[in-house]
Amino acid sequence: MKNKSRMALWLSSAALVLVGAAIAPVVEAARGGGHGGGHGGGGRPHADHSRADKRTTNVRNTSVNNVNVNRNVNVNVDNNRGCCNNGWDDDFHPVATAAAVTATVAVTSAIVGSIVRSVPPGCVPVSYAGMVYQQCGGTWYQPQGTQFIVVNAPY
Amino acid sequence: MQRRSWMLGALALAFAAPGLQAQTASNPVDPAAMQALRDMGAHLQSLKRFSIVTTLTGERVLADGQKLQHTATAQLDVARPNSLRAAMRSARSDRDLYFDGKTVTLWTPAQKYYASVPFTDTLSELVERLNERYGIEVPLSDLFVWGTPAAPLDKIESAMNAGQDFIGKDLCDHYAFRQGQIDWQIWIATGSKPLPRKLVIGNRADEARPQSVSVIEWNLKPAFSDAVFRFVPPKGATAIEILPRRAR
Repeated sequence: MKNKSRMALWLSSAALVLVGAAIAPVVEAARGGGHGGGHGGGGRPHADHSRADKRTTNVRNTSVNNVNVNRNVNVNVDNNRGCCNNGWDDDFHPVATAAAVTATVAVTSAIVGSIVRSVPPGCVPVSYAGMVYQQCGGTWYQPQGTQFIVVNAPY
Repeated sequence: MQRRSWMLGALALAFAAPGLQAQTASNPVDPAAMQALRDMGAHLQSLKRFSIVTTLTGERVLADGQKLQHTATAQLDVARPNSLRAAMRSARSDRDLYFDGKTVTLWTPAQKYYASVPFTDTLSELVERLNERYGIEVPLSDLFVWGTPAAPLDKIESAMNAGQDFIGKDLCDHYAFRQGQIDWQIWIATGSKPLPRKLVIGNRADEARPQSVSVIEWNLKPAFSDAVFRFVPPKGATAIEILPRRAR
């Protein structure tokens, strides 16, 4: 019993190390490029989210912003993603299941929830659900300030 | 001992029962609170040109139930029946919605992307259509819906007057409502201009009950011209495709 739990602990920390190693370079890259650019709202500084804890992107639900809305439509769509109410203030939803996804797709593509300074060439910008995404084959990026965060496919 | 307290409890219940019954038999929907909503809606629909600035505090619930707050602001320039400009700002994204009565455009200034679709209906139709078809929420979309048939007041299960409060310098009547999975509160300015000054919505669909708080500043004599509603692509702007929302 004791051995088993020790083994499980070792396995999970090994997985963490693997994931951490994969994320670290992009995060480092993002930190270097957090400022500059020059677009955006009226000369205020750009926000940098690269130091935010990964847990903050694992969102299961959000507040709602309006009373008179046909929520039947929303609920059916959104519950499949496990999250969120599509508020004008809410751009967190596509990362909602980051923890679960990361474990399985880490090897094959960019890790959901990781942050990069620029997207690969050949990406197609698409406006979906109020946000602009960069679709790059099977990987989706969402702009965050001057950076991009890898998100689950929004649909 | 345990038994005695159980007996006492039963006794207390028996005595309290008539009072309880009287309370549940009375109407949980206070007609005066509902009338206040209707008056506010009629007043909102009567405004032809206005600007508002709203500051929103929203919450998101993390996997373990811990809540995080975030803020966003929006400025809305409105000319009824069919013109709107909404500037939405947060630390994560800046977006602008333009509607000049013929075309709706969503502009992302940081990336210089815009997506346009034709639309010719009213603002009430616009906010519903944008939400249903494209998953785009217009800030304070309720302002365009209250006072129209699209705001079904019969879905409100509980309505009460919660007293008065100051929002900024305005003395407001405070009302509280329950409707489906949301509990919501509104502060309506007293006097001849019943404008909503604050809106709080609690989401009961999650046990953590994430809540949004919107404070609304009004300008009923705005200086904007109709040019603010028309999107003219700036130099370097790129048109991109907008996809309708899909079920997954």
